[in-house]
Amino acid sequence: MAMDFSDMLASSIHDIKNSLSLISTTLAEMIGSAENTFADPRQANLLQHEVQRVNHNLVQLLSLYKLGDEGLTVDIDEHNIEDLFIECLANNQTVCQALGVDLSYDCDPMLCGYFDLEMVRSVVDSTIGNARRYADKRIQLSALEEDGYLVIRIEDDGQGFPPELLLRSDTNDQLQVTNPRASGRTRLGLLFAEKISGLHRSGERKGHIEVKNGCSLPGGCFELWLP
Amino acid sequence: MASILSKKQVLVVDDFADMRSVLRGILRSLSINNFDLAATASEALAILQKRRPDIVLCDYNLGEGKDGQQVLEEARERQLIGVDTIYVMLTAENTREMVMAAVEYVPDSYLTKPFTAELLKTRLEKLVQQKAQLSGVNEALVAKDYAGAITELNTLLTSGPKNPLELLKIKAEALISSNQLDAAQKVYQSILKDRDVRWARLGAGKVQLLRKDYTQAEETLKALISADRYMIQAYDVLAKTLMAQGRTEDAEKVLQQAAELSPRGLKRQIELGRVALNSGNTQTAEKAFGRAVNLAKYSRYNHPSIHSSLAKSLTANGKHTEATKVVSELGRAFSGHEEVEFHKATADAMIKANQGNLKEAAAALAIAEHALGESSGDQAAELGLEMVKAYAKLGQHDKAEAMLRQAIANNHDDDAFIAEVKQVCQSAGMGDEGDKKIQRVQQEIIKVNNAGVRLIKQGEFDAAIKLLRKAADEMPGNKTVNLNAAKAIIMKMEQKGSTKEEVQLVRGYVEHVRSAAPEDWRLADISARLQRLVTKQKEA
Repeated sequence: MAMDFSDMLASSIHDIKNSLSLISTTLAEMIGSAENTFADPRQANLLQHEVQRVNHNLVQLLSLYKLGDEGLTVDIDEHNIEDLFIECLANNQTVCQALGVDLSYDCDPMLCGYFDLEMVRSVVDSTIGNARRYADKRIQLSALEEDGYLVIRIEDDGQGFPPELLLRSDTNDQLQVTNPRASGRTRLGLLFAEKISGLHRSGERKGHIEVKNGCSLPGGCFELWLP
Repeated sequence: MASILSKKQVLVVDDFADMRSVLRGILRSLSINNFDLAATASEALAILQKRRPDIVLCDYNLGEGKDGQQVLEEARERQLIGVDTIYVMLTAENTREMVMAAVEYVPDSYLTKPFTAELLKTRLEKLVQQKAQLSGVNEALVAKDYAGAITELNTLLTSGPKNPLELLKIKAEALISSNQLDAAQKVYQSILKDRDVRWARLGAGKVQLLRKDYTQAEETLKALISADRYMIQAYDVLAKTLMAQGRTEDAEKVLQQAAELSPRGLKRQIELGRVALNSGNTQTAEKAFGRAVNLAKYSRYNHPSIHSSLAKSLTANGKHTEATKVVSELGRAFSGHEEVEFHKATADAMIKANQGNLKEAAAALAIAEHALGESSGDQAAELGLEMVKAYAKLGQHDKAEAMLRQAIANNHDDDAFIAEVKQVCQSAGMGDEGDKKIQRVQQEIIKVNNAGVRLIKQGEFDAAIKLLRKAADEMPGNKTVNLNAAKAIIMKMEQKGSTKEEVQLVRGYVEHVRSAAPEDWRLADISARLQRLVTKQKEA
């Protein structure tokens, strides 16, 4: 049977994701059961955290592969932001709590935006996953309308992004994937977010990302701007 | 963690034992204790029939046999799940491939693995809320009470909902179903004014096709495809638009592209095979019907005509032995199916004719003729065309023409079907002559029909009824003529009172149309008016 690389990749990822589901849920059961005791419970929770990160990386790699193959297009529809945040919270809350990080959101319950739900969910989920590594005690999601854009913001109260990662729209910066190993950050997540935001267009306007420090929380602040 | 979910009855379908136990763990952590686990599609369907769960969580990949989509189709068509049942498809990867198959029934939600118990809970609670919000609308839609559904939607829309676009999408579809095309187009345009939402653009294209604005529809759909070449549904509507313009070659190309991008769409493969076989591209036809036979294997939509068409493609390519094998398998697989004899016999006739065995071919055709006489309903036009091809192949031109006349007479205002008829005439060697005849038949019917409508408008009901009854009796399969005959009688009764005989007569015409096109929007109007007359008669 003929099978091209993209099919192969998709079916492998299907398999890997089934394994991840298994690992993740079994781990949750182990942690949740009163009969089990761990010398260091934090280790088990870190494992949970890493499983989710592997999953985000997988999704992003496949998406970027498809993007290169011109097989990735956006499905723009209207979505309620609070609904999105509630789901993102549900998917991340347990691990955050276990790691001692408070995850919360703040937005107008009637706020809606036009975007590809699965893609944006993936960006928000993985940014939360990333922020978890650097947050001290808090991660905060918020959204508002600014200059006709929907701005989705993910902030933490950690040390903030290193200067070489900061990215602002007014400087026309492009993400450079130079020497990723040096910093220990692959920047895959940011690259993915940038590509996804760029696929969102309305008339002449195009989506983008901004990476700053010290907005309403002292640490890193990631913004997704959608037209 | 007590919630509205803990009282719900749930069915989980997954072929992996480990995944089932994972899901069991998740459900228990949500205090859902009333659930069944199924490993296969047939187990799932058996449980659906017995227990009627409120929520179904079904994995898309179920190994050998039906997939999650086919379980959904079977369950909906057999009414094992109602409009209030929540059906969630669990997938490993992005949902796009599945949506691309352009399916009739979509699940209420897709959930990508891995997911946490909390996410499942949040999603299910939201779906329960949504079902409650739309329960009135869904009930009306199932009863085909489109006016009721639209009223209900308007009420919801004025209450400042969180999901206005979702409601507008359903509203536009209800408007199309009740043939309020201008109003539907207004809904789509108002959305597109602000945003480039794909489903609204697709909807606009569909409305343009229905209004026979073919040039505009083509433009809309081509733009949509050039913006997103994975927007598979746009290809399907574009192919229909091209067919309606008689551009069968272009339609075939479009279907071919779509079938390459998304080979899992059964209807598309059948459509492609049909156009290709009619135009003599027998290699393409063989490939498409070969795929269709495989895709249909576990599907609710498996049908003897697919296998018969594969056999006809094979024999056209000189593979008579393989074709014969397909026909005999067809007989076994569909034994007892009401159309099996017909499809076996037409394929048989083609094979025998191609082998030069004209006597046996004629015998097979006689069987098909007999089987056709017993069949009726919405397949009649397609079956008629199959007969035309077989008659032409065997040189029985008089019979071919008579059958052709009937097929055209029954569908004179269906542009896409007329285009298919023309295509069949071309490849059967009845070319230019055929075109003229088709036109003549169409014009005759339009003339009679228009005369009838004019008489109705002038209030000359008796004359209108006489004219349209004669036409309807000659063309029992023509929807427009039958509906107008029924309408003339109804209008007369509305003014002058009803009689039992006339009510019977109208019911007969309505039945003709219902069997040919159960979804025709005009049926609802006629039936409602008839119902009012009957009620009045009883009260009197």
